[in-house]
Amino acid sequence: MAGRVITVTSGKGGVGKTTFSANVSAALAELGKKTVAVDTDVGLRNLDIIMGLENRIVYDLVDVVEGRCRLQKSLIRDKRVATLHLLPAAQTRDKSAVSPDAMEKICAELRQMFDFTIIDSPAGIERGFQNAVIGADEVIIITTPHVSAIRDADRVIGLVEAADKQHIRLVINRLQPALVRRGDMLDIPDMLDILAVEPLGIIPEDETIVISSNRGELAALTNTSPAGQAYKNIARRLLGEEVPFLPLETSRGWLQWLTRLFKSN
Amino acid sequence: MKFLLKLFGQALPETSAPRAKERLKLALTYDRNGLEQGMVEQLRGELSRVMAKHLAIKAEEIQIDIDHSAELDKLIASVPLRSARRPRGAAAVSSAGAKTTAGAKKAAKRR
Repeated sequence: MAGRVITVTSGKGGVGKTTFSANVSAALAELGKKTVAVDTDVGLRNLDIIMGLENRIVYDLVDVVEGRCRLQKSLIRDKRVATLHLLPAAQTRDKSAVSPDAMEKICAELRQMFDFTIIDSPAGIERGFQNAVIGADEVIIITTPHVSAIRDADRVIGLVEAADKQHIRLVINRLQPALVRRGDMLDIPDMLDILAVEPLGIIPEDETIVISSNRGELAALTNTSPAGQAYKNIARRLLGEEVPFLPLETSRGWLQWLTRLFKSN
Repeated sequence: MKFLLKLFGQALPETSAPRAKERLKLALTYDRNGLEQGMVEQLRGELSRVMAKHLAIKAEEIQIDIDHSAELDKLIASVPLRSARRPRGAAAVSSAGAKTTAGAKKAAKRR
């Protein structure tokens, strides 16, 4: 049975695409699915270093596109989880080295080899983004609760819809419940209302992420931190399981009730 | 602390998230429709020139709003028409200014 090719994109840079791609790929692999994470950020590669596989790269995406090696040879198998693989990007070239056509062919091959192909898109809406999206069966949009990220996410959603991609879902990353309670950060219902895309997951701000990336570890594999838990839940949802969203205290609850009581007087 | 201020009737500084939501909704309406916010002024000017050929209007009174409350975003131009007719009835009384109450009552009866 053919696998699923899922592209992770955002428009805005730095919202967590690579960390998400790495962790959700790992979580899927740990659940027994044969998974490959693909870095399409040619020239600014990071999926390898986030996964802690930077010293195992021999061949990369551009080598495959330019015929210097077969696809199979470029794949790095993760030693922590046997079903997890990485197809790294090239670092000394740029996105013009890969064409959407070439990407589409590679995706077709990966679709036959893997249950899940997670494509980490670069930021932007230019060639790199186009390369990342062309072969996608499904698209995950990553945003954070900031005006800039949401504006960019909206634009990207429009572009992805225009490319006839039907399965588009949203992940809200780096939520800070305390700020939301204070009324100084956009709330989940607000963002879902503005973007009008089905939510796949909500990931809280979590300092263990930077610690994991420092060590080349993956939160979804190594710990039970809130973010790690969220990534694991997202993987389960991708497999069709109904997993309730993590309880993030974004409403004042009792404090709200109390303030309402005083306001009415 | 904020809570105590509220008790004593002090106004709390407005939190920023609602403002972010407002600004985003407006910005996205413009983005999605390929409009520029600065273009609205231009539109007002051009609309008034066209309409002035047929109607008595004041360009600066034309109000242009983007309504993004329903599913379809709408651009709404509101054009106040200057009435060229003489004001009638109670309006006549108030605009004329110094009328007796009796006169005002008579005017009201006639309507």
